[in-house]
Amino acid sequence: MSPSSRSGFLFRPTLLLLFILLSSLVFKTGHTDPVKWILTKECTLKVNGSTNINKFSCIVPEYTQPDTLICYKDNKGGAIKITGSMALDVQKFDCKHAIMTNDLRKTLKAKVYPKIIIKFLNLSRYPDVCNREEAIKGAVTIELAGIVKRLEVDYKYTMNGNGNLKLIGTKQVNFSDFNISPPRKLGGMIKTNNELNVEFVLNIKTLN
Amino acid sequence: MKKIIRSGLIAGALLFILCYGGLYLGIRLFPALFMDYNNPLFNSDGNRDVFFYMHAFIISFALSWFWDRFKGLFHGHFILRGLEFGFVYAMVSLLPVMWITFSSLDITFFMVLSWFLYGFFQAVVAGTLFAKLNP
Repeated sequence: MSPSSRSGFLFRPTLLLLFILLSSLVFKTGHTDPVKWILTKECTLKVNGSTNINKFSCIVPEYTQPDTLICYKDNKGGAIKITGSMALDVQKFDCKHAIMTNDLRKTLKAKVYPKIIIKFLNLSRYPDVCNREEAIKGAVTIELAGIVKRLEVDYKYTMNGNGNLKLIGTKQVNFSDFNISPPRKLGGMIKTNNELNVEFVLNIKTLN
Repeated sequence: MKKIIRSGLIAGALLFILCYGGLYLGIRLFPALFMDYNNPLFNSDGNRDVFFYMHAFIISFALSWFWDRFKGLFHGHFILRGLEFGFVYAMVSLLPVMWITFSSLDITFFMVLSWFLYGFFQAVVAGTLFAKLNP
């Protein structure tokens, strides 16, 4: 046996071992299952706020532009990455009071910035289909009136009878977070409070 | 001229207290009546607040000048003179302005009526004061 063929004989099992080791490491650490989440038109966005004389609740009642979110599901049950966003029309806000609806649209500068864009970034864990109602957290960015703000959102989720996932995200935001001055009328005698409670309901059809 | 400015200033101060105080209390006691002010027609960014609060003095000086010119037409007890002055102002100035306001802006009849009565009240208070200060 020549020295070169001897070293090749020893080298092959080492390479094989290295390959097995590396590939097992790769599968263990980097394995993610991308899951497609189709946002159906039953998605809504609700904004609750108040003035010193009344409360208001305005809703974008449906999402007419279905989008897809991609969820990178981690086998270990840790935080999952999401890519995708939803863009809602500010003009579709309805406060069940025509004058208030117009006022909100004006406040949110609907003519200049017609869309609210919610970009989903991550979830603390993948919703567990076995648990019918659970709370999780996640990060999103909200673009409103030209300002983008990263926010941590509390989610609740339920599994619908038809197998769809209903994810309800809530977050308290301020008008000032988006460089918007809360409206004030009659020399400030009627004032809108800075805080707004935002609730978005995602109705999700899951595709593997 | 001195009388016009003096009575205008005093009436302005009185109207400022009465009108904005009344408005403040009205908003707190009857909030439902003010819900329609959440309307994009009304300035909402606060950049005209100074003008809003100056209104009591603007109307007082205008009425003070008007009183000085036409006070000879109002006779009787000072309260009666004030009432008649307020009525004349309401008929000559407020009614046509409120009429065109209601016909052209998307506001309620109640809102326009409240403005009419508010203006009438201001003119009666100012007129009564002028009848005492500048008879």
